[in-house]
Amino acid sequence: MRALDVLTLPLHPLRWLAARARRRFRAWWMARTPPSDTHQLRQSNIYILPTRAGLMFGTTLLVLLLASINYQLNLGFVLTFLLAGSGVVSMHVTHATLRGLTLRLRAPAPVHAGEAALLEIVLTSPGTARYGIGLRAETATPAAFSWIDVPARGQAVARVSFVPARRGLHAVPTLLAETRFPLGLFRAWTLWRPASSVLAWPAPERPPAPLPAALGTARGEATTRRAEGSETEGVRAYRRGDPLKLVVWKKAAKHAGVGGELVSRDTSAALHRQLWLDWQASGSGVDEGRLSRLAAWVLAADAGHVRYGLRLPGRELPLGQGESHRRACLEALALWRA
Amino acid sequence: MAGLTLPVGGWRWPGWRHLPRDTRDTLFLLGVIAWIVLPHVPRLPWWCTLLTALVLLWRGQIALSGAPLPRRWVLVVVLLAVAALTLFTYRTLLGKEAGVTLVVSMMALKTLELRARRDAFVVFFLGFFIVLTQFLGSQSLPVAAAMVVSVWGLLTALVLAHMPVGQPSLRQAAGLAARTALLGAPLMALLFVLFPRIGPLWGVPQDAAATTGLSGSMTLGSVAEVALDDGVALRLRFEGLPPAQRDLYFRGPVLTEFDGRQWKRREPAGSDAREAFEALSAPLRYEMTLEPQRLTVLPLLETPPPDAAPRVDGLRVLRGAALEWHAARPVTERLRFEAEAVLRYRYGARLSRAQLHDALALPSGFNPRTLAWAEALRHEPRLAEADARTLAAAVLEHIARGGYTYTLEPGTYGDATGHDAIDEFWLDRKRGFCEHFASAFVVVMRALGVPARVVTGYQGADPRPSDGYLIVRNSYAHAWAEYWQPGVGWLRADPTAAVAPDRIGLTRSLQPRPGLVAGALGTVSPTLLAALREAWEAADNRWNQWVLNYSSGRQFELLKSLGASSPSWEDLAYVLLGVLCAASLAGAAWAWWDQRHQDPWTRLAARIRRRLQRLGVEAAPHHAPRTLAQAVRERLGERGAALAALLEALDAARYAAGGRRMPPAAWRREFAAQARALARDGALR
Repeated sequence: MRALDVLTLPLHPLRWLAARARRRFRAWWMARTPPSDTHQLRQSNIYILPTRAGLMFGTTLLVLLLASINYQLNLGFVLTFLLAGSGVVSMHVTHATLRGLTLRLRAPAPVHAGEAALLEIVLTSPGTARYGIGLRAETATPAAFSWIDVPARGQAVARVSFVPARRGLHAVPTLLAETRFPLGLFRAWTLWRPASSVLAWPAPERPPAPLPAALGTARGEATTRRAEGSETEGVRAYRRGDPLKLVVWKKAAKHAGVGGELVSRDTSAALHRQLWLDWQASGSGVDEGRLSRLAAWVLAADAGHVRYGLRLPGRELPLGQGESHRRACLEALALWRA
Repeated sequence: MAGLTLPVGGWRWPGWRHLPRDTRDTLFLLGVIAWIVLPHVPRLPWWCTLLTALVLLWRGQIALSGAPLPRRWVLVVVLLAVAALTLFTYRTLLGKEAGVTLVVSMMALKTLELRARRDAFVVFFLGFFIVLTQFLGSQSLPVAAAMVVSVWGLLTALVLAHMPVGQPSLRQAAGLAARTALLGAPLMALLFVLFPRIGPLWGVPQDAAATTGLSGSMTLGSVAEVALDDGVALRLRFEGLPPAQRDLYFRGPVLTEFDGRQWKRREPAGSDAREAFEALSAPLRYEMTLEPQRLTVLPLLETPPPDAAPRVDGLRVLRGAALEWHAARPVTERLRFEAEAVLRYRYGARLSRAQLHDALALPSGFNPRTLAWAEALRHEPRLAEADARTLAAAVLEHIARGGYTYTLEPGTYGDATGHDAIDEFWLDRKRGFCEHFASAFVVVMRALGVPARVVTGYQGADPRPSDGYLIVRNSYAHAWAEYWQPGVGWLRADPTAAVAPDRIGLTRSLQPRPGLVAGALGTVSPTLLAALREAWEAADNRWNQWVLNYSSGRQFELLKSLGASSPSWEDLAYVLLGVLCAASLAGAAWAWWDQRHQDPWTRLAARIRRRLQRLGVEAAPHHAPRTLAQAVRERLGERGAALAALLEALDAARYAAGGRRMPPAAWRREFAAQARALARDGALR
C-alpha cells in the first residue's frame, strides 16, 4: 500500500457498504423487468440526472445572479433567467429525446470467440426526430458509444459491438442507451436486457495445423467410372451453393433451350475421399485447444470443398458439405460439453 | 514551440459547405467568441485585444489546416505572461477592468486547448460571463440585442457539440437552440417579474457611474461641453398639465465662490437651510426618472417645499443650503421617484449681512474694467436709489441692448491664469454662452453691492413629450443667476433670456453639428430624421421603464394591484415559490397523464374483449374484430348474429379504405345494449 492509501482507510467501510448497496439495487432492478428483445422507452424506464457540465452551468448561473444583484443590472437578470429557462427546457427535451422510442434487437449472427459480434439495434421513433442517441454495452468503456440519429416517424439501425471472450452461448450484455442532447446539461439513459444470446464458436487455432489425411471410400474407382449418359466423369447435378467456377457452362448453354438443368463438376477428392475430423486426432492438450484445432480444420475443410464429418466424444456429425454443415459443426464445437 | 505557420501559397478556401465537420464547428465557435469580445475592445488594453485576435486567428488556422494543437506548457507560459501584463497595466488582478482582461484572455487561450466537440463548456461559461460584464457599461436596447445574439450563438454551438452524427447544418442547430430558448422565455419572464430586487450585497460599485453631466464647479466653457451631449439627463411626468417651458428650471449645484477663474460651491458654513420658505402657488406633483450622474445633488424642479422631500427607494434625500437637495451617496443607478414642486415661492427674506457675505465676495485684482463699469452704472442718476430689482433690470437691459450674442462657440476668454476673462467678455467681444452671461451678471451685481450667485442645472425640455414623458437632455444644461433683495429674498435672473429669448421661451436648444449619417438624412428628409429619432426615443423610454427600471417599487405595485395590502419581500418570495410549485405540479400531472395515456382504439378493444369474455366468447388481444365476430357466431349461434354483425361493421369501418379511426358513439351504445341483452338471456337460461 502506498502512503496515501493510509489516508483513505476510513473510507473503506463506506465504499464496501456502497458497493453492497449497488449490488442489492442491481438485483432488484434485474428482477423487476424480464429480458426482452424489444424495449419500449417510457417514463418508467428512463433515468435523468444532471451532468458535471450541468452542475457547472448551475454554478455559472449563480455567479451571474450574484453579479446582477450586486450591480443591480436588470439586463443581467434577463440574461440569467433566460439561461435558466433554457436549462429547464433542455431537461424536458433531453428526456423527450428518449421517451417514445422503441428499440429492437435483430437476431445476432454467431461469431468466433475473440471476434467482435455486431449487434444490430433498430430504433423507431413514432413522432419527432431524435438526435444524438448513443448506444453501448453497459460494461464497455464510455468511449465506445455508437451515436445515431433517428428520423421523424422513421427507423435507424445502430451497431454495437460485443466481444465474447470464450466459446459458447452468451447472453447479450445489458445495453445502455444514453443522450445528452441538446445542451449537454442533463444525461438521460436507459438500461435494457435483451433476451437473445450470441453463439460464440471456438476461436480457430492460429497458425492452423494441417488437415488429417482423408480416407478413401470402398467404392472408390467404380464411382468415378459411372457416367451419366455421355457426360465425362466427375459431373453431378448442380446443388445450390456450389461455387460458380465448378459449373459446366458449355453444358448449360447447350441444354438451356430444352430446359436442361445446370451441372457442376464433382471434384475428385470429394468423390472418393472422406475426411473425418476426429477428437482423438486433434492432438493432446486441454479441451479448448482441441476444440480450437477442430474449428480450424472445419474452416479449412469447408474452404477446400471437401466432404467432412465431425466426431466428438458423445456426438457425431455425418459427412456433409456446404454452409449449413459448417455451421452445424461449429455449433456442435461451441456447445460441446465434456 | 509550435510556431505560427502562415498559409502556404496554393492553399485555397474550400468553401463553407466542403469543410469537415470539426473545422466548421470550430470556426463557428471562434466567430461567436469574436462577436462576444468585440464590444469590450474599447475598454481592453491594446495588448489584450492583440493577443486575443492573434490567438483566435491561430486557432482558426489550426482548424483549417489540421495542424496539431500547441503543447500545454506553451499555454501556461502565455497565461503567466498575460497575468504579469495585467498586473503591470492595472496594478491589481482583482477589480473590474483587470478581471475582464483576464477572463477574455483565458477564454481565447482555452480555445487552443480543446477540440470542437469535447470539453468546450469552460469556453461557453466564460462567454456568458463576458456578456454580463458588458452590462456594467451600458444596458441600452442595442446592447440587449447583441446579448440575445451572443446567447443564441453560444447555445447553437452547444447544440452542435451534442449532435455527433453526420453534418447537421448550422441552420438546423440554430433553429433547435432558438426553440429551446424561446420555450424557456415564459420562465424567464416569470422569474424577472417576481424575483426580489434586493440591494447591493457588498460594496457600492462606483464603476457604473456616469461620466458626463454637471459637476460641482464651473469654469467658462465647461457647461458648453455638457451641452454638446444629446443624451438624456432626466425624464418627467406630471400629474396634470405640465408647466410652461419657461418655468422648467431644474436646480443643480449652486456656485457661490469665485476665484477669478472658477465658480465653486460654498461649503455650508452657517447654513441658511432653515430660512423662511413661503410657497406662493400650489405644489405640482411629478415623477422623475434620473440617469446616473456624478454628483450627489439631485436636479429637481424648482423647488420642492422644505418639508416635502422626494421619496426615493433606498436613498436618503436631504435638503442642503441654497435650496439644493442632496442624496446621501452618489447616484450610480437610474432613479425613479416622485416629488413636488412649488413654482412660485419666497425664500431667504430675512438673511443677515453676515450670512450674505459670501455672496458678495469678489477676488481682488481680477476684472478691473468690469468693476469700474459697475461703479459707473451705480453712480448713474436714475439708479441712485435703486434697489436690487431695479439694478438687476438695468443690467439685463444692458445685455439686451448692448450688442451681445449668444453662441455655443465663442472662443476662449482670459489668458492662462484667467485674468480679465469677464472683462474681455463683457466689454470687448460680447459673445458667449449661458455661463458667460451668468458669470458676468453675478460679478456685475456683486460689484453693485447686491448679493448674487450662479445656479447651474437644466432648463427646459423637449418641446413634444415622448410617450407622455418630458425629456430633458444634457444639452439643456444651463447656468443662470440669483440675486438677493431685502425683504423679498432670493430672486432668479436669467441673463440668457435677455440675450436669446427663444432659448428660454421655445427651448430650441443650440444644435451641435450633426454627424455624417444624421446630416445626410437630415438634408434628405428632416421630418424623417425627427420621426425616426422620436420612435427610437420612445422605444428606448419603454425599454428603460419596463425593463431597466423594474425595481422593487414596481414589484410592490404589482403585488398591490394583485390585492396585497402592504407587500414586502416575503410576500414576493411566497408568490414566486407558489407559482413555481404550481408549475411543477402541473408538470407532474401532465407526466402522470402521459404515462397512463392509452391509445383510444386499444382501450376500446380491451372493453370489447371484456364484454365478450363475460358472454363466454374467447377473445385474445391479437384477434381482429372480424375474428371475434366469427367466434361470436360459433359460440352463440343465431342469438349472436346481431352482435357479430356489429363487430364486422367495426372491422370494416376501421380497416377499409377511407375508414375512420374510431367508431361513432351510436355504435358503442348499440354494442353495449346487445351485449347486455345477450348476457341477460344467457343468465336466464
